[in-house]
Amino acid sequence: MQQQEIHNFLLNYFQSNDCAIVENGPGYLTVQLTVELDKELMNRPFYWHYLEKTGGVPNPMKLTFITNQDAAPDNLKGEIIHFGSPRLHQIFASTKNLASYIRLYENHRNQNKQTPLLPWLCLNVKISYQCDRKRDIFKSIGLQLINGKMVEDFHDRLLEIQLTPKIPDYSFTLSPLVKPQSGMTRIETYLTSVIEKEDHSWALEARERWDQDLRLLHHFYEDMEDENENYETEKIALKEQYEPKINISFINGGLFYLTEKAL
Amino acid sequence: MSIEIEFDSSWKDDFLHRIENDGPWGNWELFKLAINVEKHLVIPDFKGLLAPGHLPNLTPLPHQLETAKQVIENMNGKAILADEVGLGKTIEAGLILKEYMIRGLVKKVLILVPASLVTQWSMELNNKFFIPAISQRKSYVWEQCDVVVSSIDTAKRNPHRDIIFKQDYDLIIIDEAHKLKNNKTKNYEFVQNLKKKFCLLLTATPIQNRIEEIFNLVSLLKPGHLGSETAFFEKYKRDARSLNDNEHLKELVNKVMIRNRRADTGIEWTKRHVETIPIECTAEEKDLYESITDLKSEGNWIQTSSFSVMTLQREACSSREAVFYTLKNMLQKKENPTPAFEEQIQYLIKKVEAVQKNSKAEKALELIQKVNDKVIIFTEYRATQMYLQWYLKQHGISSVPFRGGFKRGKKDWMRELFQKHAQVLIATEAGGEGINLQFCNHIINFDLPWNPMRLEQRIGRIHRLGQEKDVMIYNFAIQNTVEEHILKLLYEKIHLFEKVIGELDDILTKLEFGNIEDHLIDIFGQSASEGEMRIKMENLSSMIEFAQTMKEGESHAAAGNS
Repeated sequence: MQQQEIHNFLLNYFQSNDCAIVENGPGYLTVQLTVELDKELMNRPFYWHYLEKTGGVPNPMKLTFITNQDAAPDNLKGEIIHFGSPRLHQIFASTKNLASYIRLYENHRNQNKQTPLLPWLCLNVKISYQCDRKRDIFKSIGLQLINGKMVEDFHDRLLEIQLTPKIPDYSFTLSPLVKPQSGMTRIETYLTSVIEKEDHSWALEARERWDQDLRLLHHFYEDMEDENENYETEKIALKEQYEPKINISFINGGLFYLTEKAL
Repeated sequence: MSIEIEFDSSWKDDFLHRIENDGPWGNWELFKLAINVEKHLVIPDFKGLLAPGHLPNLTPLPHQLETAKQVIENMNGKAILADEVGLGKTIEAGLILKEYMIRGLVKKVLILVPASLVTQWSMELNNKFFIPAISQRKSYVWEQCDVVVSSIDTAKRNPHRDIIFKQDYDLIIIDEAHKLKNNKTKNYEFVQNLKKKFCLLLTATPIQNRIEEIFNLVSLLKPGHLGSETAFFEKYKRDARSLNDNEHLKELVNKVMIRNRRADTGIEWTKRHVETIPIECTAEEKDLYESITDLKSEGNWIQTSSFSVMTLQREACSSREAVFYTLKNMLQKKENPTPAFEEQIQYLIKKVEAVQKNSKAEKALELIQKVNDKVIIFTEYRATQMYLQWYLKQHGISSVPFRGGFKRGKKDWMRELFQKHAQVLIATEAGGEGINLQFCNHIINFDLPWNPMRLEQRIGRIHRLGQEKDVMIYNFAIQNTVEEHILKLLYEKIHLFEKVIGELDDILTKLEFGNIEDHLIDIFGQSASEGEMRIKMENLSSMIEFAQTMKEGESHAAAGNS
């Protein structure tokens, strides 16, 4: 993420969370937190607890972020934000946490005509391939819950559609034939079958490294007659170090009601 | 092949719950942002380093980046980092740790370092790497914090020990790991019992170790890499001194060890200027020294311990306080001292009392005033250290003492005091290790250690990355004493001071004849005459010279070979 991207991201995050933007200057950003966001980010539960007990006037904090030290005024006090800063990663986590689940309708412009909206299940996932190394891929899958059609890069397609949290006028939703639960199972089965067809040389290589270290370990403890506790510990450590695994985590997802023409 | 695929199920349950209750639902803008964030956080490749992109305040040097990459990609996260002193092993370890944390492979980390470095480590990790490392001070820290820095001496004791063994560490980092060379020690056993998924051992001096010590260190990291103990010692002689004899073994060790040399890094280092300052002592000082020297021919009055005589000689070259302290100890420790013994001691104490001034201290004062900048004085003796502090204070110069025995907090405080308030830091030998003082560029060696590696460590405190000025080293030696012999023959003749860091331990490794210090004790203690002493010294220094030429020849033959 470039510094400008970080700046825009922060602006977007605070605006989406209804925080007043006090100042948005070159290389810096000052925001007035809402009570909710103060609780989410500032980690001061005692203050809020005290305030609620005593019925005081809440005074959420005002924060200044410096996203570009060269451009920001010299004597400005604030948190310097860059891609590695803990604060940014806290806000990243908060973003995911605040928007894990969603339900939206296509905001079509079909006036005076009853329009059916078809239910789609969307899952955005991160697939992590892990041994002693790791890589991830992002996948966005959409499943139509009536005819079972499956679409990849679903999120990118959604970006081109006008969406609204309230069902638009002259619209009705069709009931899913596939229940969300079995829809999720279908997507999981699909992902599993895709993954199984992939090249897994990375995992084979990891197992080879693992075997090699196991052989060395065995050889080292061979001479010792008793059951050796260290041997067992080391064996577990090697398993944790090398064992190839694929973890699929859900970033977010939800239900989308879209017109027939949308996809 | 089948690989275990695991779906995170907690999300699904919550989702179904929300469908049932019709919400609450998130905000579309945030939803899109979350995806955007995730696309940035995805790790695109098994290889490569992501950490530098997260560290805008740090510009790692090429050899540090290369080391981090090597450890992760080719050594599977288990390595001995053995760069020469001052090349930034901490930075390398920090890079590796950061990389694993970004990749989500490491969460819980235990960092074991000398007590004097605990604060420094956690500060560097926090400030340079944005890793929330905590210095262990309370026992709940082990469980509640993910990245903990502690001294091994604290960690190995209960209640800490038991708590630590219950934790599931992903990465263990051990600094100054050469202290774990002996597999019979409690520290070794403690580290051996730890579960090591990923592990970094940091040391500056591995190859001067004996082959047995290398075996112990490697077996701690990766048991079996050098075979089992019996098999190993059938193949290699236990007390062989050098790895270099055996190409195969060297190659094996290099699979788990990275050693960057100063010369290979291509970094411009500041220069070292060495100045020997001969000191002419007063008649009383000379009398004291000679009275001690005469003891050698006096027969067996101190159980013919030539070592004690030599210690006293060396102390006499440092300060009368040092001599007095030792004499007093000798008298106290001796059970039923004979009148003759007591008389001898009293005789020497009289000589001590006759000494009115310390010629070296005067010279030091003069030098400090001339330099008019921060100065570190190293001495081997605590009594000298205390005397010097008093003496400098008499002349309006502020100084702080530094010893290995100080508690961690006190060490940090003394370093801080020195940096901000005092002009002089007076350190004893044990205090030499483990603090970085690159804001200072003058060292006075008030007396000289007999082990050249210790001298190297003294200089290494200030001549390291971050030192911007040339380093000035002043060696004090009293004329016509054992000290001058050492300085002349050992240090000047073979130019040990001018050696760049690391060359020295290479050279010492080449010497197949053991510890230099032992040789010196033999030469000065056992020689019957001046002549014998001189010849033995000549032999020793030509051996070292020989090793040096061997080393030079080798580096010509194999340029660029690490």
